[in-house]
Amino acid sequence: MEPFLTHRRKLLLRRAITTDDKYILETRNLVHSFSENEVVLDDINLRVEQGSIYGFLGPNGAGKTTTLRLVLGLLKKQRGSIRVFGQKFDDNRVEILGRIGSLIESPSIYGHLTATENLKLLQKIYQCPKARIAEVLELVGLANTGKKKAGQFSLGMKQRLSIAIALLHSPTLLILDEPTNGLDPNGIIEIRELLRRLNGEHGITIVISSHLLSEIDKLVSHIGIINKGQMIFQGTLDDLKQKQQQSLSVVFETSDEAVTRALFVRSSLNASFKDGKFSMPALPKEQIARINRELVDGGVEVFEISVIKNDLETIFIDMVRD
Amino acid sequence: MMTFIHSFQSEWLKTKRSLAFWMVVIGGFFTPSIVIAARLFHYDKLQQIYSSDDFWNLLWKNSWESMALFFLPLGAILSTSLITQIEYKNNTWKQLHTLPLSFTTIFFAKLAVIVVLMLEFFALFNLGIYLSALVPYLLVSGTPYPAQPLPYMFFLQENALYFLDCLPIVALQYLISLKFKNFLVPVGLGFVFWVAALGALSWKYGYIIPYTYGMFNYLKDATQTRAVVPDVNVHLLAIGYFAIITAISYFLYITKKEKG
Repeated sequence: MEPFLTHRRKLLLRRAITTDDKYILETRNLVHSFSENEVVLDDINLRVEQGSIYGFLGPNGAGKTTTLRLVLGLLKKQRGSIRVFGQKFDDNRVEILGRIGSLIESPSIYGHLTATENLKLLQKIYQCPKARIAEVLELVGLANTGKKKAGQFSLGMKQRLSIAIALLHSPTLLILDEPTNGLDPNGIIEIRELLRRLNGEHGITIVISSHLLSEIDKLVSHIGIINKGQMIFQGTLDDLKQKQQQSLSVVFETSDEAVTRALFVRSSLNASFKDGKFSMPALPKEQIARINRELVDGGVEVFEISVIKNDLETIFIDMVRD
Repeated sequence: MMTFIHSFQSEWLKTKRSLAFWMVVIGGFFTPSIVIAARLFHYDKLQQIYSSDDFWNLLWKNSWESMALFFLPLGAILSTSLITQIEYKNNTWKQLHTLPLSFTTIFFAKLAVIVVLMLEFFALFNLGIYLSALVPYLLVSGTPYPAQPLPYMFFLQENALYFLDCLPIVALQYLISLKFKNFLVPVGLGFVFWVAALGALSWKYGYIIPYTYGMFNYLKDATQTRAVVPDVNVHLLAIGYFAIITAISYFLYITKKEKG
């Protein structure tokens, strides 16, 4: 009776986890440093919603990989907490890892073995059906590599094999650190399509890190931006687009800098001057027309009035530059 | 237990076509091949050798001379270091440590693979010894089949003792190679310990160096040697060293802050 109860309890627990918890992965106040003077992560609160594709963005060295390594238990946690599937990672490491597929930085494959052999040794651990090996190889386009050793693969093929490894046991959560590194544009598109399919058709939650927003903005539903070890933005892609709206600016180019500047000061407009042009946050079109009229009436020639619409990448770059 | 078996199977698959695997195969057959070549070269003495009442014991002693002093310790050093090097070389520690396995399972499954590889080394070496008796008999006409019956029990007992004696080398090399990414560190240190062991054979406290036990086992019956064979039971010492070093190694491994 006891084994049945244990199994039943596990099932109930799993159901509770998959239905009640909004966040499949959550870190609270995660702090990490490699030396006393160097804080690599400062108060990271990562919140990945179930069923989402979460883009984890940041420039190189921002702390993305360190965060993901902590989440996977590859680094000893110093401060904060990590919960995956609603469970504390520290207390349920083995059970949690059984439901995660991961790829951290460069490919992790045994070069002296074939693609099939690489998967076979993991199939032994996961005890998933042997047929999964052929399935995932087919999925990543490596079905015909035969007896070729993985060490002889191109970087792109190695990356695909790593993704196959991450998918082998049909994980619930996929953590991919820069998975498109080394892939050609076609390969990037294929991987993107594959991830979209895994998320859409199989409900797999995906955390994907990148240092380029443009690489993943068509794929993700949620975004977290980290810079210098601090989370500077976290929300849905729509939230970020909202920010994009807010970042619109108006540019004026005129024949007289002094008169134009005096007008802006009188109108309490916060304008900056660069490369012969004034720039300021977006204004109502009526106000733009009024300024134009006043400039012309004051004898100033207006060469250009334009609205600058920043793309998401520019916003991201602006965020990490600050 | 099943998890450990699966982990062991997985670790064993990694040795396929690996350098460690080839080390074991080549190392196991190296000395017997030399013995075969030497006997075929001096084929005129075969009848006398094979007629000896002490044929198998002499063959055993001849075969183990280079094995006990050189190839067994060096084989243990290299194969242990090469097994952990598989993970470093392929950048796969991080992959291994994100599998649903406890660190204890990973540690002991890998150690078990090394120990089984050593057993394979012994099995191949014994097969080699038998072949080194059989091949000259089959190839050189007029050579009689060895007169002495094969002393199975003696061989098994000696194998077991040599095996115990090499365990501290395996444990210490495992500790060092888990600690250092650079392959040269465990191999270099292993080589230094081996040279120190050779030098310590004539020292009355030489037995404190765990790399000497196989050598002492070989030299225990030697009449003309400068080695000081200790009165202590080196096999028990070997087991003790193995247990203590493995415990330290395990502690260092599970408390490691970065696991890939």
